[in-house]
Amino acid sequence: MDDLSLEKIEISGPTLASLIQRASSSPGNVDGLIFGQIHRIVSTNLSDDSPAESFASSSSSDKIVATVTSFLCSGKTVSFYDPLGRVDSRRIDSLRVDSPDRLLGWFSARRKTANRPSMRELAVASSLSSQFHLPIKDPENPKSTNMASCVFILLTTPTTDQLIHTHEYRAYQFRYSNQRLEPRSLGIVNIGPAFREHYGSFSPKSGFPPLICEVSSSAMNVDHDEGSLSAIKQAVKDQKEIDALADGLQVGNLKRLVGAEAANYTGGIEEMYERMLAKVESLALEVEKSSARVLELDNHNRKLRYRVARIGR
Amino acid sequence: MEFEGFPPQIADQLHYLLNHSPDSIKIESVCSGNKFNPKILDRFTLVIPYCLETIKWDVIYNSEYAATPPDFIFGPDDEGFMPCSSTIAPDDGQTSLLEKALSEWNNEDSTRLLVLIQGLRDRYVAYQRSRVGQVDDDRVKFEISTVLTRKGIEMQMTSGVDKPEEVKFAVPLVMDMSINKLVVGCPWKHEQKIYLQVVYPILRKIESAPSAPRLRLVSSSDLRSLFSVEDVKLPPWIDGMCLAEYLPHLEETLERQILEAVSEIFLRRSFVEALTPFLGRPLEADPTFCTKASFLAASGPFTFVVHFFFSNQFPKQQPTLMLQSCQHLNQFSVPVKSSLLTEYPWSPRWEVGRMAERLCDFLTDEAMNFKKYCNEAML
Repeated sequence: MDDLSLEKIEISGPTLASLIQRASSSPGNVDGLIFGQIHRIVSTNLSDDSPAESFASSSSSDKIVATVTSFLCSGKTVSFYDPLGRVDSRRIDSLRVDSPDRLLGWFSARRKTANRPSMRELAVASSLSSQFHLPIKDPENPKSTNMASCVFILLTTPTTDQLIHTHEYRAYQFRYSNQRLEPRSLGIVNIGPAFREHYGSFSPKSGFPPLICEVSSSAMNVDHDEGSLSAIKQAVKDQKEIDALADGLQVGNLKRLVGAEAANYTGGIEEMYERMLAKVESLALEVEKSSARVLELDNHNRKLRYRVARIGR
Repeated sequence: MEFEGFPPQIADQLHYLLNHSPDSIKIESVCSGNKFNPKILDRFTLVIPYCLETIKWDVIYNSEYAATPPDFIFGPDDEGFMPCSSTIAPDDGQTSLLEKALSEWNNEDSTRLLVLIQGLRDRYVAYQRSRVGQVDDDRVKFEISTVLTRKGIEMQMTSGVDKPEEVKFAVPLVMDMSINKLVVGCPWKHEQKIYLQVVYPILRKIESAPSAPRLRLVSSSDLRSLFSVEDVKLPPWIDGMCLAEYLPHLEETLERQILEAVSEIFLRRSFVEALTPFLGRPLEADPTFCTKASFLAASGPFTFVVHFFFSNQFPKQQPTLMLQSCQHLNQFSVPVKSSLLTEYPWSPRWEVGRMAERLCDFLTDEAMNFKKYCNEAML
């Protein structure tokens, strides 16, 4: 197991904003998991101004960068570990559900406290690092190496009322060798020409199912997929999903968008989009209703908790 | 102390901690981490005495989930202090007590916070001792090895960007007597102790000879009414000396001085008693340490109160007097008082009877001046 140092930790602007929003809207302290990837970036510096040292004129250095892509907030503290800071991997599995990214570490948000890691936070980072390892993606070397480490993001608010800023955040890497949380710079990646280089390590991905346009009765396809029943099943399932989204519109019909029939056909397409929009709107309405219900239950739970703790309102 | 803003269970634990801790812990920077109820307090800083200085630990409860045990943030210099880390193997009974208190937390039990703080403090002592043990300094290594047989020594390593590296020892001085038992009618709850603070500057390699450590005597503030450690002249630290050589001599000196201070209580008492034939029984007197006494006196129809204040240097230093009229009030309706009087005939070699007699002679004269002063103050 390598004990490698992260060059820095990157997070996209929207992810950080949503993390801060989650922390500041929560009633008390919260914690949660963060997901993302780790990349090894090889940067080569070619220089031509020292011919005497031609053998050393190109130096390459490996930089390991962690990129936070998403997070999951538990809504409370001591969610996936015990008061001693020992991580319970079963609770992590139940929390992470089906996040597409790798577990990178965790975060803790607490109001009006010093912005350095607490006793329990250090213990949790240590326990998490020993149970989960960070795989490093390396484009040149497919055999992935693991790091016994984890990323920790701490969000606090200042203890004294300051007018300059209302939220503070810091990123740390837990190093197994010295059992410390070492501060790392947190780079915020935004969209725009100034940030173009940051996307070098981003691998595009989408949750959309793979599009197999013609699953139908082509004789060639049948030949191909003879043996694998499961592949056919999967393809049919995917097709159903697409059909549900397209609301009965055949992919093949799209070719009618060009040519003589186009004028008649656009009306049909527009109608389909309108139906889809209406569907999305009704879905949004449902989400809003259920959110209100969740909030109601949440408030009810809080009242019950206060009653248990005998806190008068 | 007010704990009104705290949830009742946290308030109970705090109460118990502050009242039952052997060290006098203070609480500050109380605030709330609750968004909807910022009046519910759940986080604060504890100021805990350590090595004759204080350390500050932040305690964070979560008022939203009151059943969760608190978390702690230690000082910015104590990054390496990891009391709950798995790398520190529990090796005695106390360590497992701390873990037990955390993992089997019960917020209904008001003693738990004290158990936690004591467990953490014990680990902090061990942590600082191991830090000091790692210091690459021959003298400090030698001192540790020779002085470790003494119980209760606390050590501290201070270092920082703008601070010079230093090692601090707090050594409880051992005396063959209990100070509390020497004082008749002793009012102290805790056993009085005197500590020696020793600060060793850590040598940089270019320096050759180690300089003498800085020494300071520290006692609890209660002891000041009997004996002030600030007045003790410390024996000189001779070059090449070590703590194990220095301490027995210091302890002997202190023992003698404390016995003297106790016998001075009796001297002061006998002087107060010697005043009674002239001034009558005192209105009020400090019966334990005899540091002050007040008498009612009269000069013809003019009655006034005489306050005596005794220093620890009595009879070498004469008592300070203050007169207070019983008949004159100033414009704020406060009795007129004289300034402090220290200039009057006195000799520490007189008998107490003669001291009292001469003092009363002086008072007879001074009464006239004071009456005049009072009459002027009234105008």
